[in-house]
Amino acid sequence: MITFIVRRLLISLVLVFFISLISFFIITLTPGSPYPWGELNPKISESVKANFRKQFHLDEPIWKQYWFNMRGLFTGELRSIKDGRPVLERITERLPATLALNVCAIVIALSFGLLVGVYSARVAGQWQDTALSTVSFALLAIPEFWVAYLLIIGLTEWFAVPLMGTVSHGIVFPNALASSLDWIWHLALPATLLALGSVAAQSRYVRASMLETLREDYIRTARAKGLPSEKVLYHHALRNSLRPVITGIGGLLPALIGGAVIIETIFAYPGIGRLGYQAVLERDYPTLVALNFITAVLVLLGNLLADILYSLVDPRVRLE
Amino acid sequence: MIRFFVYGIPVLLVALLVASFVTVASFSTDRKNELTIGSIGEPTKLNPIQSAESGASEVEGFVFEALLQYDANLEITTQLAKSFTLSQTTTVFFQDPAAAAAALQLVEAARPSWSAWSLQAARTDGQRLLLDLTLPGMEASAKIFSLFDPKTALPLATLRVETEKARATLEDFQKANPDIAIERSWFDYDAAFEITVAGEGTSVEERLKKFLTGTGNAQATAAVSETRNFLAEPLVHFVLRDDVRWHDGAPFTSRDVAFTYRAIMDETVASPRKPDFDLIQKIETPNPYEALVTYRKPYSPALNSWMMPLIPAHILEDKPASWWADNFNRNPIGTGPFKFSRWKTNESLRLVRNDDYYQGPPWLEGIVFRYLPDPISIRLAFMTRQTDFWGVSPWAVSSLLNDSRFQIFRYPANSYEYVGWNLRNPLFQDVRVRTAFAHAVNGPQMIEFILYGNGVQSNGIFPPHFWFSNPEIKPIPYDPAAAARLLDEAGWKPGPDGIRVKDGKRMAFTLIVNQANEVRKDIATLVQDNLRSLGVEVNVEIYEWAVFISRFINKLEFEATVLGWSTGPDFDVYQVWHSSQSNPEQLNFVGYKNPRVDTLIEQIRQEYNPATIKAMAGEIQKLIFEDQPYLFLFVPNSTSVIWKDSFRICRPDGKGGFMDTPVEVTKAGWTYYMQWFYRPEFAGKLPPKREVRP
Repeated sequence: MITFIVRRLLISLVLVFFISLISFFIITLTPGSPYPWGELNPKISESVKANFRKQFHLDEPIWKQYWFNMRGLFTGELRSIKDGRPVLERITERLPATLALNVCAIVIALSFGLLVGVYSARVAGQWQDTALSTVSFALLAIPEFWVAYLLIIGLTEWFAVPLMGTVSHGIVFPNALASSLDWIWHLALPATLLALGSVAAQSRYVRASMLETLREDYIRTARAKGLPSEKVLYHHALRNSLRPVITGIGGLLPALIGGAVIIETIFAYPGIGRLGYQAVLERDYPTLVALNFITAVLVLLGNLLADILYSLVDPRVRLE
Repeated sequence: MIRFFVYGIPVLLVALLVASFVTVASFSTDRKNELTIGSIGEPTKLNPIQSAESGASEVEGFVFEALLQYDANLEITTQLAKSFTLSQTTTVFFQDPAAAAAALQLVEAARPSWSAWSLQAARTDGQRLLLDLTLPGMEASAKIFSLFDPKTALPLATLRVETEKARATLEDFQKANPDIAIERSWFDYDAAFEITVAGEGTSVEERLKKFLTGTGNAQATAAVSETRNFLAEPLVHFVLRDDVRWHDGAPFTSRDVAFTYRAIMDETVASPRKPDFDLIQKIETPNPYEALVTYRKPYSPALNSWMMPLIPAHILEDKPASWWADNFNRNPIGTGPFKFSRWKTNESLRLVRNDDYYQGPPWLEGIVFRYLPDPISIRLAFMTRQTDFWGVSPWAVSSLLNDSRFQIFRYPANSYEYVGWNLRNPLFQDVRVRTAFAHAVNGPQMIEFILYGNGVQSNGIFPPHFWFSNPEIKPIPYDPAAAARLLDEAGWKPGPDGIRVKDGKRMAFTLIVNQANEVRKDIATLVQDNLRSLGVEVNVEIYEWAVFISRFINKLEFEATVLGWSTGPDFDVYQVWHSSQSNPEQLNFVGYKNPRVDTLIEQIRQEYNPATIKAMAGEIQKLIFEDQPYLFLFVPNSTSVIWKDSFRICRPDGKGGFMDTPVEVTKAGWTYYMQWFYRPEFAGKLPPKREVRP
């Protein structure tokens, strides 16, 4: 087990290096260059531009730029081209909002996924199951931004409720409860939309796994012993059907910090996804380098975590 | 236990959602005495000398102040300065003191003309003859110079040296060559210096080159950049207000003016404002409330640059640029009517009332900017009363005009849209062809289709509401017959497939446009359609902005493009229209060259008389319009919407009292009087009215 983890970590180090190298070249070789002065500003002289390139090492050969960026990333000195602040600070200041949104989305995805999955398995083959399957597949297929816009337009047209951002503006809150419920409201919509796809997927996994378990011999034995069917379902069958859910948690790790570009943009939510999207548009290389690096590390760690969890819940799997 | 997880948590979540929805939907409509603005352009840094984007200046305009400002009619007036006066010192060099004395006698003899030249005093200083003029400019000085014997006068050469460590290099050079008298020196960051010496300058150039090679500085270059008959050095004398305090209580003084200039010229600050200040020789501050700015040569747009907000010396001096970025730029201290309070990136930025403002506290308790990602969310935020103001896209205006819930402000934008022809391409070199295209494009229809009538046809490089714009130029009318005639004349005859042909070459080109701009994409479509009926094949290609600029525009590798210029009321168009600016990465990317326009552009920058400026600007506009290097399309309207009666204005009437009016639009936009806005429901709870000192 220990040797397995150490070996995987070493492989991951090499992988992270190559990922950072390739992603850096993709970022910097994309046409366009940072231009922080608005659109085609006639007032910007050659000496201002040259000085700007010098300040951010943009006039150096590309391998040197890579070295400056990586060194800056590890010393914490890497600064954004956009506002000159350390990129790690720019990322961490968005962590609370992003974590709140993604934790919320994951809770919704897991809990509703479980609910729908268990229910579908119980009523497998009946019309309720068919209906839920149809809805699930529809949710998987429909793009989330489309649902988001329909929802937003409906809510604002019919109820005129505030949306966008993390809190309502310009209103006097009567008490602390109201302002926390206001915060929850602003979190709930994007989180729900973010979770829609996962709810559909999770419920499918749970349903399939549950149906498979229900066909096992030990379930028949439990039933034959005369245990109440509720007990068999929840105590014996569900536990063993949770394997795909538990191992899936490892895969959720990168999603926890990685942003949700589309949903965050639609809901004007100040998370990491919007930061990354703006950084792409502005060619803010240092911010992109840092975000790519963090995402790569999280994906690799998430995969490792998934493997470890799998070995813990399924004794048949051995990590060598 | 496990059943609780399966059923309990979802039920709990749904309950929470319902509870929060009910709460949010039941919020009362009690508003704070604040104004909330929804905006797409979030600032990057709240430091007026480091930021150049409109989102930043929108906020900075309330927090910071400048020496000068535009008044409600877009004319220059004072803000932190109490007054300013212009003058000029002209220096002529002679071979020896005797020649200078003889010249002084000639000037004295011409005393009757002094007032025409605006000459106040004349004196000698060794070989130099110094003339004090009350009006800056070249013309009077040139007339006086013509009195002298040119053989006795020495020209003045300016040499530019590009080198690393410019400051140290010049110091070493002076030590090594003490016999060279350097009249003026100036540094372009630490990357170059310019020195002015009496004489042709060729010998100094030789010695500089020798010195640079001698010190092993192989990449350095030295060359005479300019030779002049005399030095004309304008002077702006600012007298500052003495009752202004920074938001932290420190007094505002001339030290802040001098510091702001020094910061702009500092390479680590990397200020985009530097080109505006490159022509300053020095700033002197004889006392805390006076600042004297000496320019290296007459440059009339320089006065506008003092509308740039000033930054506090007592906070920023001796701090590295990284300290600025980490502290000041996200927590700025200014002198304006509103103080910075809090900035949540990508969400909102809050300013609060400055109770110690020298004109009395503003009525509003705060201004909140909400940063939203796109026009749809801006609209939704406004409709749910999350913001008080909506900058409406042209196509949404007509649906609002008759809605009694809103008050609508419409005023022409400081911008115009155009199709630029790459004049290096043989297809576009004939002015008849370009004029034919202008005839073929249906301008009024374009304004109707794209802007829903919210704009006027452009009549050249200056929008019609600028004071120096030429009202006699009429837009080229839509006339397909005239267009066809002009193309026939130019030799382009319809070919077998309907597309015109000349010398076996089809009249076909690619029109490029950038991705995110709906208006420009629509323009491209209409131009394509209009020109097709003339027998011209236009292929439209769309690129992402950064690619569009770096791969096509900056490299000059395009045939035609749809673009627009946003400009302040600035008559200096050197960067966009002077022939010297047509190289890669420069802004005359269409490659326009007209010697007469070049001369006028050079002259207008040295002209201070408004009447002459208007005449020259009018001629520049006319000449460029006749050449049609662009197909000038339209100047759009800006439209802003607020909820009706949500605000009123109570502002000083200039006679010591106050006047109460509804919110109205000025030439400078509807936010001009923001410091005097208030919500009517707070009318009884405003701070006491204070007498406003002029």
